[in-house]
Amino acid sequence: MQKIGLLIISVLFLVLSSALYTVNEIQTVIKLRLGEIVTIEESPGLKFKMPFVNNIVKFDNRIQTLDAPAERFLTGEKKNVIVDSYVKWRIIDAEKFYKSTGGNIARTNNRLTQIIKTGLKSEFSKRTIADVVSGERSEIMSNIVRLAKEDIAQFGIEIIDVRIKRIDLSQEVSNSVYRRMQAERQRVAKEFRSKGAEEAEIIRAAADKERTIILANAYRDSEKIRGEGDAVGANNYAQAYNKNADFYAFYRALESYKKSFSNQNNILVLNPNTKFFRHFNPQIK
Amino acid sequence: MAWNDNKNKNPWAGSNQTPPELEEVIKDFKNKFNGFFSNKKSSGAGGASKTLSSSGFKYIFILVLLVWLLSGIYIIDPAEKGVVLRFGAFQEETSQGPHWHIPYPIETLNRINVEQIRTVEIGYRNVINGNRRFGGNISSESLMLTKDENMIEAKFAIQYKINDVQAYLFNVVNPDTTLRHVAESAIRQVVGQNTMDYILTEGRVSIADDIKEKSQSLLNRYKTGLLITTVNMQDAQPPEEVQSAFSDAVKAREDKQRLINEAQTYANDILPKSRGKAARMLEESKAYKSKVVSKSEGEASRFKQILAEYEKAPKVTRERLYRETMENVLASTSKVVVDSKANSMMYLPIDKLINARQANTQVFAKESSTQQNNQGGNIRDIFRNRGGR
Repeated sequence: MQKIGLLIISVLFLVLSSALYTVNEIQTVIKLRLGEIVTIEESPGLKFKMPFVNNIVKFDNRIQTLDAPAERFLTGEKKNVIVDSYVKWRIIDAEKFYKSTGGNIARTNNRLTQIIKTGLKSEFSKRTIADVVSGERSEIMSNIVRLAKEDIAQFGIEIIDVRIKRIDLSQEVSNSVYRRMQAERQRVAKEFRSKGAEEAEIIRAAADKERTIILANAYRDSEKIRGEGDAVGANNYAQAYNKNADFYAFYRALESYKKSFSNQNNILVLNPNTKFFRHFNPQIK
Repeated sequence: MAWNDNKNKNPWAGSNQTPPELEEVIKDFKNKFNGFFSNKKSSGAGGASKTLSSSGFKYIFILVLLVWLLSGIYIIDPAEKGVVLRFGAFQEETSQGPHWHIPYPIETLNRINVEQIRTVEIGYRNVINGNRRFGGNISSESLMLTKDENMIEAKFAIQYKINDVQAYLFNVVNPDTTLRHVAESAIRQVVGQNTMDYILTEGRVSIADDIKEKSQSLLNRYKTGLLITTVNMQDAQPPEEVQSAFSDAVKAREDKQRLINEAQTYANDILPKSRGKAARMLEESKAYKSKVVSKSEGEASRFKQILAEYEKAPKVTRERLYRETMENVLASTSKVVVDSKANSMMYLPIDKLINARQANTQVFAKESSTQQNNQGGNIRDIFRNRGGR
């Protein structure tokens, strides 16, 4: 009896377990009857199916990420750029998805990669690097999404977003960018230095000018003062000497002799017949 | 719940037959658990095998059921949120404290820490080596183009936490990787819209803010349930290949300042000096003026006084002045008196005279100055008188 009971229990369990299945929050389930789609279950929970008749295929209904490998594209000015992008997509029509791809996400990603690559290629060929880098990323992205939408409608998926992660220049282009940056910095450096020299020169010149003016003014003023002194002096002399010009001449001459012949090395060659020697040589009358 | 009801039904309820092997096992179990479940009804060992087996079954069953039910008790930490799924369908979200859920396989529990701040590093990886230190520059992530087609190397640390556990669990495959993608894209976009100089200098804060905003809006669009708390620009530099040119430009800025300072120094040096010089010139001229005026006054006064005396006795005074002066002059010079009436040529060795004079003075210079008064005796005064006999 017990053996039979156990058997019944296990059979029951087997039947039940193959008749029950769960749908997760993140799943969409297609119920197939002998290979054809019966229903699509999107609400999560515990579900029933006919054992051995129905089988189920589960799909992930979360947002999937396609991180495409970096690709090389030519821009409008024929420069090579390496673009790394990602695509966010989601299954919205499990039936279509199952029919078109067999539910294979990897295969879907491959298809998407192709589509996105084509889109990027055409978008990049219309634009310069500057456009791509600075302004028009969002435009490129929305264009690609729009293009891709038509292509992927058949797969039962929707593209939520296509975004460019990185735009890198190829080695030769980036080398030229570096050279340009270097040249630019050198220009800036030179400009700084020559501007510095300019301002320094201006400051020095102004200082020199100031100095010259200060000294010249001082010279002018001092000459003026000297002149005043000279004038006063001359006036004093004139007033005194004019009283007797004849005596001044005599007196001044005597001063000059004293000054001129004060050195032992002066040799005077004298004529004894002068007034000075009148008493020295009595013959002279 | 169907399963649960199923389990509560005792499948063995009707049957009194137990296979012998099973009986053995049950006995073992019963002996083991006797300490825990002292059954007063059962007479322990030596009871009828049928009653023993059926009551044993009950015990086992109750025990297993109890253990199974107890396994549904769980405690949520303050920092955590619990999400309970029943057959994969969302049932409830629980916060801190003790809770109970119907155990596996009916309900399952996910614990998510919602307070923990997680970090995504872009452009570098922290090398944790005992203590935190920055390392592991990843140039493929950190190199980016700016609006003016320059390249910079920027490193970012983005901190985030989970703020909506359901969204985090149910909406996106691998939300954390998604955050990395989103952040990279946003960083490149924001950097691509700004010039290099702005990014490297005053734009740091505003750029981080822009990136935060852009990333967050994308995360919301994908319904990731993540909230970015901070975006930090760790480091923004020109790429290594052009570093030296950049630092030279910085040096040049310093040089400019240095040149200006040097010029200023020069100006500060010469101007006060020249003002001093000017002051000296003025003072000297005033001194000169004073001197000249005083001198002229003195000399004029002297002359006037002498003149006054002279006019009292002109002849005598004149003679006296003349004599005194000549005396003075002749006393301090060498003299040669020549009678000019002699018409013959005369040889005067003037240079010799001068040399002799100098030799004498040199000799005498060594002696005391009092002796110099006796010079008169040593002077060769040459008188050549060719006058009449």
